[in-house]
Amino acid sequence: MAAPLLSAALRGARGGRSFGTAAVLWKRAAPLGPMPNEDVDIGNLEALEKYRSFARYFRLAEQESRKPRWWNTYHKHTNPHAEPQTDIGLPRERLSRAKEIKERKRILRENRRNAEMERAARLRTVLIPLDDVRAEWERTSGPFHKQRVAKHCGLFRDLFKGATFTPWVALRVQYSQEDEHLVPVYYGNMVTPSEASSPPEVSYEADKGSLWTLLLTNPDGHLRDADSEYLHWLVTNIPGSDIKSGKEMCHYLPPFPAMGTGYHRFIFLLFKQHGPIDFSQEARPTPCYSLKMRTFSTFDFYRKHEDAMTPAGLAFFQCQWDSSVTSTFHQLLNMREPVFEFVRPPVYHPPQVKFPRHQPLRYLDRYRDTEEPTYGIY
Amino acid sequence: GLRVASTTASLKTETEVDTSENEVVAPNFTNRNPRNLEQMALARKERGWKTTWPKREFWHRLRLERTQHYVEAFVERSNGDVVVSASTREWAIKRHLHSPKGVAACKNLGRVMAQRCLEAGINFVNFKAIIPWEHRCDSIQEFEKAMEEGGVVLHEPRRTYR
Repeated sequence: MAAPLLSAALRGARGGRSFGTAAVLWKRAAPLGPMPNEDVDIGNLEALEKYRSFARYFRLAEQESRKPRWWNTYHKHTNPHAEPQTDIGLPRERLSRAKEIKERKRILRENRRNAEMERAARLRTVLIPLDDVRAEWERTSGPFHKQRVAKHCGLFRDLFKGATFTPWVALRVQYSQEDEHLVPVYYGNMVTPSEASSPPEVSYEADKGSLWTLLLTNPDGHLRDADSEYLHWLVTNIPGSDIKSGKEMCHYLPPFPAMGTGYHRFIFLLFKQHGPIDFSQEARPTPCYSLKMRTFSTFDFYRKHEDAMTPAGLAFFQCQWDSSVTSTFHQLLNMREPVFEFVRPPVYHPPQVKFPRHQPLRYLDRYRDTEEPTYGIY
Repeated sequence: GLRVASTTASLKTETEVDTSENEVVAPNFTNRNPRNLEQMALARKERGWKTTWPKREFWHRLRLERTQHYVEAFVERSNGDVVVSASTREWAIKRHLHSPKGVAACKNLGRVMAQRCLEAGINFVNFKAIIPWEHRCDSIQEFEKAMEEGGVVLHEPRRTYR
């Protein structure tokens, strides 16, 4: 049996065509926008401020290259324009900033007056406490950074078809190993399937009386259909942050990324419920090892219950094949293990021309249907 | 276990009914993860731009911006999208520093940036976009040392062509 294929993903919206910038020049007309350096007065070059150093010029050049232009650029060609995205998360709590700003300014002023800090900074011995920095970061700019990383890993595009949310609730997920060693799950780190074989400890800050839903899904691993995901864990109606007292709709199944398929994303989603919701339609039988029953679509699941819950927390990890996946396939899923191989896309050749210019004899080899190159190096 | 497609089966247990369809696997597998190819070192790097500097032959690039008032570090892709960033403008880092610029700030920014890169799963980063004569100065050397000690490798693996 021929080895199953793995096709390379995501080439952008190009479709193999290139773009040209000469179309504007076929007709003599006014430019469609301001020309570069229009605002520079060429007559009076001595009065202009000079760069005097390469670093200043380089910084300005980088900033200018990142600005959007009215003419066709390679950036526009490779990054198709993204539509404005709907925000489906919790609304941001806008507290009064005046007091906070005043407090921060006071702390900064004290820092600047502190002689010890100044000495430590001068002698370069300062080492800031990374744990405190991380805790403060999780409270202030953490949600935005996590949203940015999640966008680049394609989570919102695959799970919610483009709708984004900012994970305001800090979700702490840790897998505990036999030797009391903890493997944390942040936003995109590597965890092996053997480390993730048992359900993790999940903790987050929750008010008393609030209800939450925790969901672990794998959007990349589906063996039959590329657009659906596998549900690994679903716990609903969790009171506060106590996962054990929530109703487990689907029991935990360890990750099983197939050999040769590369890295799969496993995403923990935390939804805040506005009230108790009836999830009886999502209930799977207690030992559920049927992949058909585990086939899932987060978009449809969220669409069904979108009035009663909002996404609040996010954590995900990348996972690759290792030997424990073989035992998962054989023992739990009761099937033969699929093994895939990466197949490179075919090399592109432009359409064949009857009289090619400046091409070697092996030009004909490129368009022959059979594999053997007859002309060798000629 | 064995699974036989039998039409004469009289007693089908629950596990057989459940897992009987597991074996059906599509021959072509598509992995939608945008980070998959670059983590397997199979993704393309932009090989053009050889007559300009800096080149864009990387998957992730680390850029350190030192201004008169702040120091900022960005990890970005070749199309310019920032993936992970850290700056002394953030309150979390600013409150522990005496001044948000200078060698001590660069060193601590390096430690924080290394932690954030590892949390985001970025282990290899290209650090070539620094001006050569600026590369020797203390702040950039301390930043580089702090990133190396934090566990981030500052050169990207070569793409596998075969």
